[in-house]
Amino acid sequence: MSTAMNFGTKSFQPWPLDKGSFPLDHFGECKNFKEKFMKCLRDNRFENALCRNECKEYSECRMERQLVAAEPLEKLGFADLMDGKSEAETSFDEKATTGHVHGCWKQSSPH
Amino acid sequence: MVPVKDRIIKVTFNADVHASLQWNFRPQQTEIYVVPGETALAFYKAKNPTDKPIIGISTYNVVPFEAGQYFNKIQCFCFEEQRLNPQEEVDMPVFFYIDPEFAEDPRMVNVDLITLSYTFFEAKEGYKLPVPGYN
Repeated sequence: MSTAMNFGTKSFQPWPLDKGSFPLDHFGECKNFKEKFMKCLRDNRFENALCRNECKEYSECRMERQLVAAEPLEKLGFADLMDGKSEAETSFDEKATTGHVHGCWKQSSPH
Repeated sequence: MVPVKDRIIKVTFNADVHASLQWNFRPQQTEIYVVPGETALAFYKAKNPTDKPIIGISTYNVVPFEAGQYFNKIQCFCFEEQRLNPQEEVDMPVFFYIDPEFAEDPRMVNVDLITLSYTFFEAKEGYKLPVPGYN
């Protein structure tokens, strides 16, 4: 990687990992969900948007096994995937208020 | 965070190990297609093929450099010591998203490929891991 003499670019802080360390799944407890997600990617030409359900399931698995802090799924923007409502795109400020966002889903309407 | 659906970005993945680290380390997908504002999941895999436990620690890099400021890792396995026992193999996920402001930066208008590279080192006392930053 070349030396970056970019004095004019806006400064950037690497975003801190909000939940601290991210334990690995040493016992492979969520391996099945990972395999489902990877199969979804391969079946859908690696389009991430088409595999949000599998991503959600993997995240749920991690939460259930306490590999990551549990959060209510509705708060994580999965409400549309859970009860079949159409997705609502809204501006969202979770990053600003909590300092982090959660993975693999679009944020639904704030409640 | 509103996904910018008309800006499809291909993210590709590299995996490297430092010469002294006897791990096998590779991405589990060659690429994934995302849009700014949409969070994504990708996997690496690491195996310790030796008969001794080995502790590794990784850093990451993003090219092009200017796109890196929009690349947000929600959670990943980097910067933390990770121990693999003999013959142990583990999946390593990365949750990330590209900031929607990427789509509004005129310097990014021709950027449709971003490459994420992870490099694992053997964790040793006194070793200072180079942390990427754009300051």
